[in-house]
Amino acid sequence: MTFSTMLSTMADGMLKTGAIFFLTLIGSLPLGMIVALLRKSRFTLVRGIISVYISIMRGTPLMLQLLVWYFGPYYLFGMNIGNWRFPALIVGFVLNYAAYFAEIYRGGIESIPVGQYEAAEVLGYTKTQTFMRIILPQVMKIIMPSITNEVITLVKDTSLAFTLAYQEVFSLAKQISASQTSFMPFVIAGVFYFVANYVVEIAMNRIEKSMDYYK
Amino acid sequence: MKKILALLLVLTMSIAVFTACGGSSSDTETSDGGDQYGEGYVFKHGFDLDYPPYSYRDDNGEVGGFDVEMAKAVCEYYGWEYESVPFNWDAKDAELNAGSCDCIWSGFTLNGREDDYLWSKPYSDNTQKIMVKKDSGIKSLADLEGKKVGVQTATSAYDLLQNDNEEEGGQAALANKFESLEVYETYTIAFNDLKAGAIDAIAIDVTSGNFLMSNEDGYTFLDEDLGSEVYAIGFRKDDTELCEKINAALDALAEDGTVEKIAANYPEIKDYITLGK
Repeated sequence: MTFSTMLSTMADGMLKTGAIFFLTLIGSLPLGMIVALLRKSRFTLVRGIISVYISIMRGTPLMLQLLVWYFGPYYLFGMNIGNWRFPALIVGFVLNYAAYFAEIYRGGIESIPVGQYEAAEVLGYTKTQTFMRIILPQVMKIIMPSITNEVITLVKDTSLAFTLAYQEVFSLAKQISASQTSFMPFVIAGVFYFVANYVVEIAMNRIEKSMDYYK
Repeated sequence: MKKILALLLVLTMSIAVFTACGGSSSDTETSDGGDQYGEGYVFKHGFDLDYPPYSYRDDNGEVGGFDVEMAKAVCEYYGWEYESVPFNWDAKDAELNAGSCDCIWSGFTLNGREDDYLWSKPYSDNTQKIMVKKDSGIKSLADLEGKKVGVQTATSAYDLLQNDNEEEGGQAALANKFESLEVYETYTIAFNDLKAGAIDAIAIDVTSGNFLMSNEDGYTFLDEDLGSEVYAIGFRKDDTELCEKINAALDALAEDGTVEKIAANYPEIKDYITLGK
């Protein structure tokens, strides 16, 4: 196999890795906010459920969660899991990352002094207005570095999709390495993850700079 | 409270949608009864892509290998549609039982698993061998005492070294004499360790071993075999009709020379293919 065939084969996997990455972000960033807000809910039951959910998501390996999401429907309900591989992956990734993002959001929200809520109330802001216009913009700024951390981890975690034999970069690297008895595919995969993360870093820095308000 | 209700609704709805999808696809497969495996049937070939030369990424980066070409030939014979379902070898049973594939057809050892699957006729002979460096001084199985030996997880060589039933050819007694048995995710990594001197020998199928050695000098098999076995296709136990169809197709393809033609593409294994012999 020539180097260029190797690259073009793996490029196909890079697209699939990209699909996992973007779908996970699109799903988990908003879901994380919902979870963070529910965690502060008035109802004890809701708070309880959410905290159990976060504990499980953070307390068990993502690899294991992916296997459960994929094979669970069969083992629990005897369902045929014919085309469930990719959806299971995305469900697993989104729910896992939403838990981490929720905790980051919560940390950010709780770091805002109570005085600001009181001041907003005095000025006649409603609760929603206070959150959307005063709290959230500051929270976003505070949590950006933590979010960047998670996003970079996500780029590398996409490789866990190999547990479900999804044909992303890492699975392909393993297969090509097996058939060509060569270490090169792993080098290509390594360079790919590094470059992807470098791009993420630059993008996130830009976003952080654009949040240069309140100075 | 409204938020929670909405969230619950979304959850139940998505579950309902997924269940519906899963249900309908299995319904269509069984609804037309006797003619289930007629023309247009989607044959889901389950295999491990880490198992050259039976199923692997070929030189063009495509999914290929002897088993893949054979499965495609069977599909062509019946006018079926071929669907490749690559899986991880550790998860093969769950994949098969859960219906993501119709069979395990991937250099799959029959021996020792006779009662676990419905088996097609064996199509390939295979022997387990010990691979060493030519200059290692290891000449026989007895020389392996106190050596480090590598093996790929969930392979027949691994099973042999774990099996203490000597009537079944188990080699656990031999494995106990090793300094250690190193279990690898893939043989490629084991082979790298052998090259680097981290282990002294690899227990491996002769066909996979031949494949690894095809690009390298300085490695050889011991003359003594570790064990011997045959490859066949494993089906779910109640899929007798499908199994019979595949067997019939294998016979027909052996007779019209297709098997020989496909085997010619894989010089490392062509002498071991038993179909039509």
